[in-house]
Amino acid sequence: MGNLVQAELRKTTTTGLWWGLLIPTAVLALGWGLATGLLGQFFVDFASSSDVDEVSDFLGVTPDQWKVSLFGMARAINISTIFPMIFGAMAISGEINRRTITTTFLTAPSRMHSMLAKMLVYVLWGAIYGLVIMLFVGLGVVFTSSAGQLPDAGGWAMLTLVCVMSSILMTMFGVGVGALIPNVAGTIVLLLLYFLVIENVLHGVLAYLEVPSVIGFLPNGSINGLTGSVAVDLFLSTAGVVPPEIEDVLRAIAGAAGALDWWWSGLVFLGWAGVVFAGGWAVTQSKDIT
Amino acid sequence: MHDGSGLIAVQNLTKQFGSVTAVHNLSFTVSPGSVTGFLGPNGAGKTTTLRMLLGLVKPTGGTATINGRPFHQLGQPGRVVGAVLEAQGFHPARSARNHLRVYASAIGVPDAQADQVIGLVGLGSAADRKVGGFSLGMKQRLALATALLGDPQVLVLDEPANGLDPEGIAWLRTFLQSYARMGRTVLISSHLLAEVEQTVDQVVIISRGQTMFYGPLEQLRQSQQRRVLVQPSDINALATALRAEGVHAIEQLPDGRLAVSGVDSRHVADSALKAGVSIYGIQEEQVDLERLFFQLTSGQYAGHAPAPFKQQGGWA
Ligand SMILES: Nc1ncnc2c1ncn2[C@@H]1O[C@H](COP(=O)(O)OP(=O)(O)O)[C@@H](O)[C@H]1O
Ligand SMILES: [Mg+2]
Repeated sequence: MGNLVQAELRKTTTTGLWWGLLIPTAVLALGWGLATGLLGQFFVDFASSSDVDEVSDFLGVTPDQWKVSLFGMARAINISTIFPMIFGAMAISGEINRRTITTTFLTAPSRMHSMLAKMLVYVLWGAIYGLVIMLFVGLGVVFTSSAGQLPDAGGWAMLTLVCVMSSILMTMFGVGVGALIPNVAGTIVLLLLYFLVIENVLHGVLAYLEVPSVIGFLPNGSINGLTGSVAVDLFLSTAGVVPPEIEDVLRAIAGAAGALDWWWSGLVFLGWAGVVFAGGWAVTQSKDIT
Repeated sequence: MHDGSGLIAVQNLTKQFGSVTAVHNLSFTVSPGSVTGFLGPNGAGKTTTLRMLLGLVKPTGGTATINGRPFHQLGQPGRVVGAVLEAQGFHPARSARNHLRVYASAIGVPDAQADQVIGLVGLGSAADRKVGGFSLGMKQRLALATALLGDPQVLVLDEPANGLDPEGIAWLRTFLQSYARMGRTVLISSHLLAEVEQTVDQVVIISRGQTMFYGPLEQLRQSQQRRVLVQPSDINALATALRAEGVHAIEQLPDGRLAVSGVDSRHVADSALKAGVSIYGIQEEQVDLERLFFQLTSGQYAGHAPAPFKQQGGWA
């Protein structure tokens, strides 16, 4: 197994795809960090200047101490992890497209061995992408927010943890989908459509039907819940007593409407990744490589 | 695990792709120590058979084993069998050396082995170029290098001569023969008998997914009747004399000569002398394996092909 992991790692480092996707990831993360930081700062300035006493009463602290950057960071992480998911999606579909899968299967004890080795290597890449995303989102936010809006050291650590976890899970999900739909273009189009359009529409429908809690069990709902719930938790921990209605609004702002606790969210999404990978494995296992 | 015998055994192998029967109840064995040719026209089922042997295509029926085991039970297959297959891909952005290093780690051999095989197939000077810029022949050489990485006991090659220059084909021929002489097993497919005729000792000939001939190439040669081509002074007199002796397989060739089957040149010369016919030229025809191969693999036409020649002879 160690041999196969090394082989899969070499596959990823001997072509330019890893940095070809990492650069736009970093740019996107930085852009979202800057934009949400500015937006948060603008909102705080507005709240401080006008008489929104009721809100500050609710939150128990003055607006300049609201850690609004957390929401932007959660959003920025969610959008940026689309890239590691695409990187993962090309792991198996790319090999099928280029027909290198033949040699891969000829040199592995079994197809399952190949797929597991790939998964391990892509978990590592997911972590690397996650760290880069956190770095650039953080840079963007720090650059545009005043100190009062930023989390403390513990908050940064917690956000980094969920960002890396989220990136790893998204990569794993991509690997599974790439095995399930062995076509690079088809896989990428489907993933983008689903994560950027389909599920967002679905969220609207579920909210309209007044069953928002279902959202937390959907793939995008749960992965957003992982980062969003942490952002809301961190925000609330410094904000005093907040009524449930406001908390729902805060969750929506963090992109975690209807989401479960962060660790539950992570487990739900891990479940989705597992289901997709199992499906991809079943397809790959019985496939004729001609 | 596997028995280390180097034996390939294909038994009642069948593959159905939807309504297409690619391979039908195919059986043969390949032993170590010789090069076996796996022959058949395009679409005969060669690639499908080899891919079933290598665990890439699931058979509809029957079994294919290497060293007594199906492919997925070989443990570390890269060290037992090396394969060059049609439509085997390379990542265009990866260099030849990096390609080999990827699979060297998968098989568990040191990187030095990658550098060694790349030199062996003559790609040393192109080792650090991206495979995307390689010619078909260079890719074929790289595929062979990949197959040799694990120093395998069994070598399976699907139409390896495709795209190779004459020099490459000659090199491959000697290489495969010496590989087999080390006591290893070599199975090589081709749609042209002439291409592998000088390389192989054994042949398996298939057509439409079924075995047509299976055995030593020498046996195939001997099964072909040799013809005596003779240029007599009087065609009809010689034909009559031969027919009187019970020799009936006589054809007139377009160039005016007679082709006599079933007897040797001496017999024909003696008959001519007795009939008082002069002989201006006589020779025994070389065995035309390609024609035989054609007859074996396109059975339905075999009976009709020689007919136009017979009709030309006025004496028939
Ligand atoms: N994946 C496939 N799907 C459908 N038919 C196939 C497939 N692969 C091969 N065939 C068919 O099986 C037959 C044998 O093909 P193949 O094994 O490639 O022959 P060969 O290698 O001798 O030229 C052909 O009729 C071919 O069209
Ligand atoms: Mg073929």
